[in-house]
Amino acid sequence: MNPGNVKLILAREVRDQLRDRRTLFMIAVLPILLYPLLGMSFLQIAQFMQERPTTVLVVGAPELDDLPPLFGNERFDPALFAAAEGSELLHLSFEPAGGDGDGGQAAAKARARRAVRTREYDAALVFPADFAERLGRFREEVRRRAPPPAEGEAIAGAAEETGAAADSPAVPSPEIVYSTASERSGLTAHRLGEVLRRWTEKVGEANLSAGGFPAAAARPFVVQQADVAEEAGRQGLVVWAKILPILLLLWALTGAFYPAVDLCAGEKERGTLETLLSSPAERSEIVVGKLLTIMLFSMATAALNLLSMGVTGWMVFPHLPNLGPPPLLAVAWLSLSLLPVAALFSALCLALAAFARSSKEGQYYLMPLLLVTMPLVILPMTPSVELNAGNAIIPVTGVVLLLRSLLEADYVTAFTHAPLVIAVTLGGCVLAVRWAVDQFNQESVLFRESERLDVGLWLRHLVRDRGPTPTVAAAAACGVAILVVRFFMSFALPPPENAAQTVNLVLVTQFVVILTPALLFTVMLTSDRLETLLLKPPRSVEGTAAVLLGTGAAALLAIALHPSVNLLQWVVLWLYPLSEEAAASLQSLLVGDVPLWQLFVAIALVTPICEELAFRGFILSGFRHMGYKWRAIILSAIFFGAAHAILQQSLIAALVGVVIGYLAVQTGNLLPCIAFHVVHNGLAILSTRLSSEAVAEWPLLEALYVPLADGEGHVFRLPVVVVSMLLSAAILYGFSRLRWHMTEEERLQRAIARGLAAP
Amino acid sequence: MIEVEQLSKHYADLRRGRLVALDAIRFLARPGEIFGLLGPNGAGKTTALRILSTVLRPTSGRAAVAGFDVVTQSSQVRRRIGFVSANTAVYDRMTAWEMVEYFGRLHGIAPRPLAARMEELFARLQMNDFRDLLGAKMSTGMKQKVSVARAMVHDPPVLIFDEATSGLDVLVARALLQTVAELREMGKCLVFSTHIMREAEKLCDRLAIIHRGRILAEGTLDQLRNTYGEPDLEELFFQLIHHHDAQEALDRPAPTGRGLRPTTAAGATAPGR
Repeated sequence: MNPGNVKLILAREVRDQLRDRRTLFMIAVLPILLYPLLGMSFLQIAQFMQERPTTVLVVGAPELDDLPPLFGNERFDPALFAAAEGSELLHLSFEPAGGDGDGGQAAAKARARRAVRTREYDAALVFPADFAERLGRFREEVRRRAPPPAEGEAIAGAAEETGAAADSPAVPSPEIVYSTASERSGLTAHRLGEVLRRWTEKVGEANLSAGGFPAAAARPFVVQQADVAEEAGRQGLVVWAKILPILLLLWALTGAFYPAVDLCAGEKERGTLETLLSSPAERSEIVVGKLLTIMLFSMATAALNLLSMGVTGWMVFPHLPNLGPPPLLAVAWLSLSLLPVAALFSALCLALAAFARSSKEGQYYLMPLLLVTMPLVILPMTPSVELNAGNAIIPVTGVVLLLRSLLEADYVTAFTHAPLVIAVTLGGCVLAVRWAVDQFNQESVLFRESERLDVGLWLRHLVRDRGPTPTVAAAAACGVAILVVRFFMSFALPPPENAAQTVNLVLVTQFVVILTPALLFTVMLTSDRLETLLLKPPRSVEGTAAVLLGTGAAALLAIALHPSVNLLQWVVLWLYPLSEEAAASLQSLLVGDVPLWQLFVAIALVTPICEELAFRGFILSGFRHMGYKWRAIILSAIFFGAAHAILQQSLIAALVGVVIGYLAVQTGNLLPCIAFHVVHNGLAILSTRLSSEAVAEWPLLEALYVPLADGEGHVFRLPVVVVSMLLSAAILYGFSRLRWHMTEEERLQRAIARGLAAP
Repeated sequence: MIEVEQLSKHYADLRRGRLVALDAIRFLARPGEIFGLLGPNGAGKTTALRILSTVLRPTSGRAAVAGFDVVTQSSQVRRRIGFVSANTAVYDRMTAWEMVEYFGRLHGIAPRPLAARMEELFARLQMNDFRDLLGAKMSTGMKQKVSVARAMVHDPPVLIFDEATSGLDVLVARALLQTVAELREMGKCLVFSTHIMREAEKLCDRLAIIHRGRILAEGTLDQLRNTYGEPDLEELFFQLIHHHDAQEALDRPAPTGRGLRPTTAAGATAPGR
């Protein structure tokens, strides 16, 4: 790649974008105008939104003597509100109680309910007809029973009696009638509740003092709250920590999207792409130049938006309590994280936009992109989601959570997981850039012509024009189909309760989820099925001997690799401990009451055959048409890993998948792959069945294993692992010396690589 | 200078299955001559020239420009060609000067010699009137001049013009043809595709008549006239194509029928032979 060309392309694209009024408007003008406008309208609306009075129907307002007043001057008593003007917010209408007796009472209640339901009033407060009278009587009783304050015993007796009285409330309850169907009604009910709570307190205090107790007896202490957030500004930090990362991400995505569409789809549409493609600039230079341009605009958009928002907020937020402007450090973290986020989004947008035929088609892709990104951005909003090893490997979510930890000044968590988040984000960037370069290398993408969409025709074309082995797209589709079927199967089948059910589940999963899609795809989409599934019998005696030799070597490799894989497993479980649920399900499978042979048939025979046919057969054969053998191996291994249910299992399976994929490419035959897989799974079953007693008993086992310090299980001794690695490397070296069969695409890519290397 | 051997290009097509855009064509273009590709729309001219400009990859066969393979040494090829096609547009938001300068820089020309080269080019192509005009505001003729200047800025030994005169008025087209002729005098190797007989007749030293992805006849104008005994190029062209279509219709029952070799096919129709 020539950096000079990248710089030239970057400079041209930036100038081109800056000359485009629409882009300038989106990136510079809109944010500068948007936030002050939003801020202004916010203040305007805030004025409208000021608390508006609500109406209350009061039925049977009690006439109370020598009790703290509830009403006064057609309002609630202002003393019952936190702020005196609160009483103005409740407009009262009074109606007499429905008369004595249950009938009258019921009629009054029904009237109140109807009034609230028909929204005549926002809420109603219904007092029972005898409320005042009973309240008065209760008060009298309290006063009558009150002992002279000096005699302690009498106090105790009085307390007992009043306690008995309190068991059956002496005073009937007033009722607040409201409707949650209306927000105003709910608010009114809340206000009424507060008023009555204060009044009840006052009545209680009055009763106490009437009985000769100090008023403070009802509230012997007051709970005080202390907020340890260091500065006043920190209170707003939690809010900022949630809002800012999301805004940043959304603007970074928007800022990347529009230039990307203009730079790729737009250029296709205007016919200038072919001009550029026939210039000496390499495709990779073009992609990187464009990518950097898009990144620049993505970052500029996010930064300008945050800046404009900050300035507006600085002027508006003094009006809001508890939310100061975001602290400077937060801004610094945001700016730092902008770079990888912008890179990831820019690369994604570039690849998508390169696929689009026209700007219009490009715009259509914004929505799916948002739909995919939004859950990743919103997920961290959920209060219980925090940064941990599991969340850190989710692409966008990890960045948001890391930012949140940084903004909340939780540096220990942040820095522990930062490497993982950064690695995942960078990995995502690299993949997205590769995808974009691939798009630029594909004629079918660069010169796509509009064709009428006809599903039937397309399906017929797939079957009629199928090649001997599957296409890359067919391989990816098969992988995705397996994952989707697996996802739905996990809901359709009940979780196994014992080992026998687990064995059945494994068999059903293998046949339905793995084997069936792979065979269906093979039959429909390939013309040379044996070739696709790497099952072509060798043509000569030497060939047969080679396959058999390879099969033996592969089985040996599985044995040699076992201690290393075991160590790896141990490391993975140490990094990401199994959830109890997953551990239990694994345990039930391996230490159940199933005969060992059944376990072997299911896990060490059926599973390897089905999985090899699918992942090293159909899927790897398809991916080989990309032209890069390692990329094909790794992609098929990723699908292989993803098809495992438990994350920890997936990680190890993906790595083992790379080894088996390599065997498949080097030998061109599925037998060695199956042999490796059979031995690998068989050893895995055996090693879980290995008890500590057995290790202690057998000298050979004792030479291999060392018991763990906590007495739970055993691991291979370090020398054993070292020997395992050396032996595996030697066997793999042997495989690397084989003359492997290249696909046409791989030959082409090698020729191009050599052509580039030539002066 | 340009060697094309057994070059084929297939596309996947939903309706028709495999679409053969180029069927094992071969030709040779030498320095100091204009090689014409004459054919109706959809004959495969653009596909062939796109492969030569390395924008497309052939399905099979080989093509080399100035000794470099178009697939494995594509960047070497791109450094040695100037490509003007109806599909290579001019940037809307760049002036004529900026556009030519940009491609000059991409070709690795240092700023000072580039400026001198551009002054000379702009004077020769009479582009100084609109050197600071944005592409969006240019007329079709101006755009075509910018494209030609862009293709010539690095003084390539090979120039490819794909339907370069389409959409141009007579004056501009004439000026362009003149430029092409001048380039031949400078010893460049030129490939010129067109569907206009007059242009081919006037300009091309050698011609290949291409139809449905196959080259039906190839040679100098005089050779073609003599071989087929038809002095009028237009007549000759029609007869070749008509015969090819008739032959293809006859062959259709046999799906793998290859048709006749061009010379035999032409021989059958050539009157007075």
